[in-house]
Amino acid sequence: MTLRRRLLGVVLASITLLLMATGVPAATIPVSVLMPASFADASAPLVREFNASHPHIRLEVTRGPLDTESVSDLAISSLLLGSSPYDLLLMDVTWTPKYVAAGWLEPLEGWLGDDAMAPLAPGADLGNAFSGHLWRFPMVASMGLLYWRTDLMAAPPRTPMELARISRELQSSGAVRWGYVWQGRQYEGLSTVYLEMLRGFGGRWIVDGSPTLDSKEAVAATRWLEGLIRQGISPPSVVTMAEPQTLQVFAAGQSAFMRNWPYAWNELNRAGSALAGKVGITTMVAEPGQPHVATQGSWGLALTKGSQHKRAAIEALQFLTSEESQTRLYEDFGYTPTRQAVFRDPKLVSAHPELPELEAALADAVLRPLTPVYAQISDLLYRELSRVFTARVSPQQGMEQLQEQTLQLRRTVGGEI
Amino acid sequence: MAPALLLLLAVFALPMLQYAWLSTQAQTVLTELEPQPVGLAQWQRLLQDGRFWQDAFQTLRFGLCSVGLELVLGLAVALLLNQPLRGRTLLRTVSLLPWALPTTVMALGWRWIFNDPFGPINLLLAQVGLPTVSFLGDPAITWLSMVWADTWKTTPFVALLLLAGLQTIPADLYEAAALEGANRWQSLRRITLPLLSPYILIAVLFRLAQALGVFDLVQVLTAGGPAGSTESLALYAYINAMRFLDFGYSATLMLAAFLLMLLLSGGAVLLWLVSRPRWAGGQR
Amino acid sequence: MNRLLLILWSLGPMLWQLYTSFRPNATLTGNPMQGGWTLEHYQALLGGNPPFWRYLLNSGVVGLSSTLLTLVVAVPCAYGLSRLGRKTARNVNVLVAIAAAFPYVLLFLALLQLARDLHLGNNLLALSLPYTGLSLPLAILLLQASFRDIPPELEEAARLEGLGLWQRLRWVLLPLMAPAIASASLLIFLFCWNEYPIALTWLSRADLLTLAPAMARIAGASVFTVPYGGFAAATVLGSIPLIVLVLVFQRQIVSGLTQGAIKG
Repeated sequence: MTLRRRLLGVVLASITLLLMATGVPAATIPVSVLMPASFADASAPLVREFNASHPHIRLEVTRGPLDTESVSDLAISSLLLGSSPYDLLLMDVTWTPKYVAAGWLEPLEGWLGDDAMAPLAPGADLGNAFSGHLWRFPMVASMGLLYWRTDLMAAPPRTPMELARISRELQSSGAVRWGYVWQGRQYEGLSTVYLEMLRGFGGRWIVDGSPTLDSKEAVAATRWLEGLIRQGISPPSVVTMAEPQTLQVFAAGQSAFMRNWPYAWNELNRAGSALAGKVGITTMVAEPGQPHVATQGSWGLALTKGSQHKRAAIEALQFLTSEESQTRLYEDFGYTPTRQAVFRDPKLVSAHPELPELEAALADAVLRPLTPVYAQISDLLYRELSRVFTARVSPQQGMEQLQEQTLQLRRTVGGEI
Repeated sequence: MAPALLLLLAVFALPMLQYAWLSTQAQTVLTELEPQPVGLAQWQRLLQDGRFWQDAFQTLRFGLCSVGLELVLGLAVALLLNQPLRGRTLLRTVSLLPWALPTTVMALGWRWIFNDPFGPINLLLAQVGLPTVSFLGDPAITWLSMVWADTWKTTPFVALLLLAGLQTIPADLYEAAALEGANRWQSLRRITLPLLSPYILIAVLFRLAQALGVFDLVQVLTAGGPAGSTESLALYAYINAMRFLDFGYSATLMLAAFLLMLLLSGGAVLLWLVSRPRWAGGQR
Repeated sequence: MNRLLLILWSLGPMLWQLYTSFRPNATLTGNPMQGGWTLEHYQALLGGNPPFWRYLLNSGVVGLSSTLLTLVVAVPCAYGLSRLGRKTARNVNVLVAIAAAFPYVLLFLALLQLARDLHLGNNLLALSLPYTGLSLPLAILLLQASFRDIPPELEEAARLEGLGLWQRLRWVLLPLMAPAIASASLLIFLFCWNEYPIALTWLSRADLLTLAPAMARIAGASVFTVPYGGFAAATVLGSIPLIVLVLVFQRQIVSGLTQGAIKG
């Protein structure tokens, strides 16, 4: 008897817990957005404001994981399950072709109009529209920047050789322990770093659907990065570094240069930072005659095909990407805007003299290859680079193998990448 | 009985059949996630895929090393716990704790313990003036860090299995051996190991299968890096499915990993059968 | 000496996490000898969205429901197998043992497809279905062994008393099985609590996450810092329920593990 009663108790308790876990339905139209944790935190005030001014909609942001890769895993598993719980996804630029090919996204031009991209700044307009449709509207622009110490040098280096020379001088004078820190871990960040060097040395990743990674230029770019570690300009631990670790080293004043995204500017110049006012930003170094490029890494909102509340979701999208919202994200969190008007806002520019620098860098932005199999080719790239940087294989050999592997992938997917 | 067997079929047999079918299909973003028959193309691709072979090697290396180490340490712990010690229950409880914790929880912990330069091991090394070790950044070392973390977690499991075996060995066997003048090492080899061998086999089979399917630990501790040196077959299959959306190939990989495991487990059983007569002879 | 070594080996990593969880981040990556103590990591975790205890609760719900369901399915099956001839049972048991050792991570893709086709995603109770399937083999082996330990005469006597099959199970056999059921339940619960790959693919709503995938999701770095202290606090909070469980039910867990080996 007692056993039965106890069992019943356990069952009832379980049901109660479950009901608690599923929550209570609301009367207004729910719109849910998945964002990486950092963007979810930054947009929280905007979301509160939106909900206050739009009483018929309840916008809810799901705070995703911190790192990009896990956010993508989460978004994909929710989409694979069929009934995605999200109406809007805040997506990295490289995911878009894959999601489109999988048939998960709803074109936006019908909602936003054919000229929706007109107000975007040059560079921010890249990677949102292809195959004849607009798939994503950028909320935050981002591009790779070279951070340099204005207290240690008069002008930033413009070529790889200059960067190495200045680094060595500052290291031997004892001003800094390391010359240059960058994202060298085996992950997507390494591909963004490499793309900048690759273009700076005159090489290309994919040309007309075919890889050119064993070119003289590509090998030179790899060799240069590998040389930084071998010569002690970059710390050996650079092969385990992602953005936060590089920022940690640079913010502690231990490195003369850092490759990072615009968000680091605010952190370095905040009150109490040891480097406040001692940091400059510019585009990545390049061989003479080659372009100084910045890898574009914008985040934009996309509408899922399975969304039950598309109209309300679009309202939220428009609010979150408006000029006012972008201005506040920039002022409060240092997230680069995507709308030309925000870059040109005289009040904002006078308060933030670095804004034109950002606009210029964004205009130099290049996209990573826009292909549904981007995840595969990038995975091959950062895996092989990681092998080179951990001295498993020489730059020449590594790039030849990488070329072969990418070609093999190209055959597997049937021709073009 | 029927519902149980049905559920077992649904959970274990159906997936394998589904993989067998899916491994003859292409189901990727390029086919708009619809399966299209491709014959044996996926298997051909597998054979030519250097990454598959590398991962198979790495998975085997990890499995054999960690299971071997767990056996040795597990036996040592089991022998210790088999002695009439003060506080034996407490000791048993304490040594059981690592096994009970979720892998992902402690994998996150190990990431911090192995940190270079702020983890405790490296702090200690730096304190005595030694260079720090890049536990998670050096392809030659990282897989060993993973073996370490796995050994920490599963040694208690092996130890308890072996302890159960030890407790079935009658004490008078040891007394008889002692009378004949056998020392501790000899009685371990002649009595303990042969009588324990069925338990060792069970532990090896169970642990090997689990170790060859290592996933949680890799994903949280290293995500397969550096230089892909810790990627396991299961992680590769996961990446193919969830990141590349290449389901046909993912299924092929999982089936291949399964076959590999069957082969290895079969080998272990065979080894045991062959070695049994020899050990049985040593018993007398 | 040996004992000390064993304790240090087992507890050392956990103690380091405990220590880390009370230290401010700045001291962790700066001078380790300086700096005070803080509760900020725990406050952040418990005040997060969703709060950390939610994951523990979810894991508890899944663990309990899966354990119950497994027992309901496994007890009759184990009884049936235990009443089969030795030889038949042995053959069945080999298959069940293979299933018990099966590295179930390989099943995730097929199970994901199942979740998608049957709309079982993002549902904690539905997650009990694969969990039940996965823990069945072990439960069957354990329960069957202890059914066999019960003298057949006892059941025979009950039959002569006129008790039907269910009555015999309920009033004669199950009470004798209580220790075995307890052991099996604990092992099943532990398995479900710790399970990762299937939870990772079946749950995508943040408020439904169980502990294991939640830990993996916390694991990423934020853009500014690597929150080592927060990670450590999460590992401590994630460990406590299990440490308590092991402390309280140590005997049952050990006997479950070892029984499985001796009789299986």
